[in-house]
Amino acid sequence: MSNKRQNDIQPPHWSLRLLKCCVKKDFLEEIEGDMEEVFAENLAQYSVKKSRRLYNSEVLKLLRPALVRGLGGNHQLNYLGMLQHNLLITLRGFKRHKTSFLINLIGLSTGLAASLLIFLWVSDERSVDTFHENDSRLYWIMANFSINDDVQTWNYTSGKVAQAMIEEFPEVEEAVRVGNHFFRPQGIISYENSNFEAHGIFASQNFFSVMTYELIVGDKQNVIADKSSIAISDELAIKVFGSIEKAMNQTIPWENELFNASFTVSGVFKSPPKNATDQFDIVVNYDLLVDMDEWADHWLGGYARTYVLLKEGTDLTNLNEKLAGLMKGKTSNDRFQLFAQQYSKNYLYGEYEGGIQTGGRIENVRIFIVIAILILLIACINFMNLSTAQASKKMKEVGVKKAIGASRLDLVFQFLGESILLSLLALLAAVGLVVLLLPQFNEITSKQLEFNLQEFILPLLAIVMGTGILAGSYPAFYLSGFKPVAVLKGKMVNIRGEEWMRRGLVIVQFTLSIIFIIGIIIINKQLNFTDEKPLGYERNNIISFERKGADNVDSTPFIEELKKIPGVLSIGNMGGDFLSGNDNSSGYSWEEGDADENHLFKSPRIGYNIIETLELKLVAGRAFSKEMNDNDSKILLNQSAVEFMGLKDPIGMKIEASANDFKEIIGVVSDFQYGSLHQKIEPVLFRFRRSGDNFLVKLQAGTEINTLEKIKEVYAKFNPKYAFEPSFLEDDYRALYSTENKVAQLSNYMGAVAIIISCLGLFGLAAFTAERRTKEIGIRKILGASQLVVVKLLTATFTKTVLISIVLAIPVGYYFANKWLQNFAYSIELEWWFFALAGVSALLIAWFTIGFQTIKSSRINPVDCLRNE
Amino acid sequence: MKYFSIFTAITNDISMKITKLGEFEELVLMTVVVLQAEAYGVEIKRELEDRLKDKLSVGSIQSALKRMEEKGFLTSEFGEATLKRGGKRKRIYSATAYAKKVLEELKDVRSQLWAAMPNIITN
Repeated sequence: MSNKRQNDIQPPHWSLRLLKCCVKKDFLEEIEGDMEEVFAENLAQYSVKKSRRLYNSEVLKLLRPALVRGLGGNHQLNYLGMLQHNLLITLRGFKRHKTSFLINLIGLSTGLAASLLIFLWVSDERSVDTFHENDSRLYWIMANFSINDDVQTWNYTSGKVAQAMIEEFPEVEEAVRVGNHFFRPQGIISYENSNFEAHGIFASQNFFSVMTYELIVGDKQNVIADKSSIAISDELAIKVFGSIEKAMNQTIPWENELFNASFTVSGVFKSPPKNATDQFDIVVNYDLLVDMDEWADHWLGGYARTYVLLKEGTDLTNLNEKLAGLMKGKTSNDRFQLFAQQYSKNYLYGEYEGGIQTGGRIENVRIFIVIAILILLIACINFMNLSTAQASKKMKEVGVKKAIGASRLDLVFQFLGESILLSLLALLAAVGLVVLLLPQFNEITSKQLEFNLQEFILPLLAIVMGTGILAGSYPAFYLSGFKPVAVLKGKMVNIRGEEWMRRGLVIVQFTLSIIFIIGIIIINKQLNFTDEKPLGYERNNIISFERKGADNVDSTPFIEELKKIPGVLSIGNMGGDFLSGNDNSSGYSWEEGDADENHLFKSPRIGYNIIETLELKLVAGRAFSKEMNDNDSKILLNQSAVEFMGLKDPIGMKIEASANDFKEIIGVVSDFQYGSLHQKIEPVLFRFRRSGDNFLVKLQAGTEINTLEKIKEVYAKFNPKYAFEPSFLEDDYRALYSTENKVAQLSNYMGAVAIIISCLGLFGLAAFTAERRTKEIGIRKILGASQLVVVKLLTATFTKTVLISIVLAIPVGYYFANKWLQNFAYSIELEWWFFALAGVSALLIAWFTIGFQTIKSSRINPVDCLRNE
Repeated sequence: MKYFSIFTAITNDISMKITKLGEFEELVLMTVVVLQAEAYGVEIKRELEDRLKDKLSVGSIQSALKRMEEKGFLTSEFGEATLKRGGKRKRIYSATAYAKKVLEELKDVRSQLWAAMPNIITN
C-alpha cells in the first residue's frame, strides 16, 4: 500500500456529502475517520471501483436512527413546538371568543367576496375587444359631424376612407372597411330543407389579416376574395353542416333584407370570443354591398366602419391632424372631421359630447372599482378594529409569557400569526362564497364570468396578508412592548388614544355606509321615476315585432289578417324601432324658417294606425288615415317641432323636405318621450311609410297568451322562414335602462353588504365595550342607576359616532348623487328627506345592532360582575 | 419527601431498562473490553469480523457503540489522529464498571443455564 495512492483516491463525493449532512455533528469526526480508514483498507485489497462501491453501501448502512441527526436539530425542533403551542392558543382563542371570531370571519370574507366579484366583472369589462393581436396598433376611424351648433360623433365613415388612408397615409399599414351596424345582413340560410338564422357582416378582403378572428380553415388573404364566397363561424358550420370539414366549399342560399343570393363557403373562422363587441357568424365581401348600393363606396355615404392598423411608433396627434382635413379635401364639405380612436378603447370610452370623448362604460367600471375598494376598506377596518379590541384583552397573556422568558420577537410572531391565520381563513371562506354566488352574479350582470383562482390568488393573498399584518401589528408591536411587571400588577396602560382610533375607524365605516344608503335611495328613486313617468304614449300590452326578410313588401294583407284575431285591439306598422329613437332626417325648409334649414329632426317613419295604437294625443288635425288615402305627401309634427319651427297655424301648411318635395302638415301630436329618458324631448316629424317592417300590436289585456299564439300562426303563414320574435314594449322600454338597472341592482347588493359588514363591526365593538365596562355598570347599578340610565350611557358614545358619520356623509353623498343624476335629461329632484332617511336609518340600524348588547349588560346583576376581582 | 420518592421511582424504572443489553451489543462490549486502549470503531469492527468470520458494517458497530454509551455501558474519549484516517481523531471506548458487572451477571446466568441443561444437547 503506497501512501501516494491512498492520498490520490478519494471516496465518492456525493456519499461523503450525504454522510456529512446526515450524521449527527458530535459523531461526525469519528465516523468519518472510521470510514476513511475502512476505505483505505479496502483500497489495499480491492479495485478502486469496488472500494468506492463498498464505501457507498457503508454510508447507506450508517443511516440509522442512533446516528442520524434529528429533523433540523434540537434548536429548530423547539421552534416547531412553539409554533404548535401558538396555534393551539390561537384556536382556543377562536373557540373561546366565538362571537368575535365569527363576526371577524364573516365580515372579512363577505367583504372580500363582494369585492372579488366586482373585480371579476371589472376585469371582464376591461378585457372586451382586447383580444386582437395588434390591439395596441388597431384603430377605429370615427367621424365628428357638425350640425345645429352641435357635434355628433359617429363610429362610421364613408366606405372610401379605408382605401384612401392606405394610399395617402404612410403611417397606415393596413386598413379594412366593414359595413356599419345599419348594414348587416341578417337572415336565413338554408341547407337540406333546414333554415338557420345567421348574422353577417360585410368586410373587405383583408379583414382577417387586420382583425384577429382566427381562421380554422382557409387562407387569410383569399377567404372572401370575391362576392360569392363567404367565411362562416365554426359554430354555424357545426350547426348547419355538422362539422367544420363538411362546410368547406358548400354552396348555400342566404336570404335577407339586403340580398338573396347563393354563396360558397371558402373558410371557417372561430366564433368571436365572448368579450368581443362584434358578434357575427358570416363574413361576406364588402363589394357585394357596393353592388347593391353605390353609396356604400361614395365619399358622401356613411356605410362603413373603418379600422386601420398603424405602423409601430405612429404619432397619433399628428395622424389626427391630418385626418381632420381628409373629408374636406375629398368632398369640399367641412362638416366631417375624422379622428382615430384605439379599437379596444371604444367599448369603455364610447360616449362623446360635442365631439369630445366624455365617458361611457368606463364610468360604471370606475364606480364599481370605488365601491369594491370601499367595501374592502370597510371589511378591513372591521377586522382591524375587532382584532385590536380582542388583543387588548391579551395584556395579561403578554405579561405572563414575558415573565416566563418569551422574547418580544416571539410575541410579535405569535400575534401576527394569529391574525394572519384568521385572515387566511376568511380568504378561504371568501373563495367559497364567490364560487357559490357566481351563477347569481352572472345573472344580474348578464355576463358569463368565470372564476379563475390562479389569476387572483396573488393579489388576494397580498390583500389578505396585508390586512392580517396590519390588524395584527397593534398587538404584535405595541402590546408586546409592555413591561411584564407593570401589566401583571394590573397597572393598565393608557388606552385613550386607542379608543379614539377605534372610534375614528367606525366613523369612516359608517360614513361610507351612509353614502351607500343615500346612493341606494337615489338610484332606486330615479329608476322608479323612469319606470312610471308618463311618456305621452301607451306602452302596456303592446307587443312589437319585426317582419324579417325581403324589403318593400306590401304588408296590407298581413295586417288585415292580423286584425281578424279577436284579441288584437289595434295594429300599426312603421319603419325602424320606435324605442331606439334614432331615425333622423334633415334638410327641411318652411316659410317661417330661418337660415338654419339643416336642423336634424327626429323623424320616425310610420304607417297608418301607429298614432292610434300608441295612443299618442293629437292636439290638432288628424293622424295618417287610410280612408283619406294619406301618403308620403303628408306629415305630422309634435308640439316641440311646431314651437321650434315657429308655426302659428300649422295644419295645412307645407314644408319643403327637399327641392320641390312639399309635405302637408295634417296634424300635431302632443309631446312624448321619444327614446329613453337620457334624451330630451326634441322636435319630431312623423314621416309616412306604408311598408314599414316593424309592427306594434295592442293586445286585449288578459288574452295575451292566446292572441300571441294566433299572431304567430299568421306570421308563420306570411313569413314561413323566419322565427316570430315578439317583445313587449314595456320590457323593451325597461331594457333601455338595462345598464342603470344592472348598476342599481348591483349597488343595492353591494350597499347591503357594506352596511351588514359595518353592523357586524359595530356589534362586535359594542360587545367589547360592554364587556369592558361591566364593573362600571355594576357599580353604577349599586349606586342606584336604573336600566334606562345604563342603556343611555352605553348608547351615547355610539350615537355620537354615528351622528358624526351622518354629518360627514351627507355632503359627499349629495355631491355624487347630483353628478349621477346629471346623466339623465329628466331626473328626480334631490330632496332633503332622502338624506334624512339615510341618516335616520343608519342611526336606527346602529341602535338596533348595539341594542342587544346594551340591554343585556344593563340587566346584569351587579353581584355577578363585582364578585370576583 | 413525597416528591422525592416519586423521583426515585422513576429513575429505578429507567435503570431497569438500561440493564437490557442486546446480543450484538454484548459482543461489541466484550470486544471493547478485550481491545483495551485500542478499542476504537474500526479496530472493534476488525476484531469482531475476525472472530465472527463475517463482514460487519461501520454503521452497525457505531450504532451499537452509541446506544451503549447512552445506556451507560461505555465511556469514550478522543484518541490520536492518523494519516490513514485523513487526519480525523479516533474515539477510544472503554467499558464502565457497571458494564463489567452486567457482563459478569450475564455470564453467570448463562453458565447456570448451561449447567441446568440436560446432557443430550451438549452431546
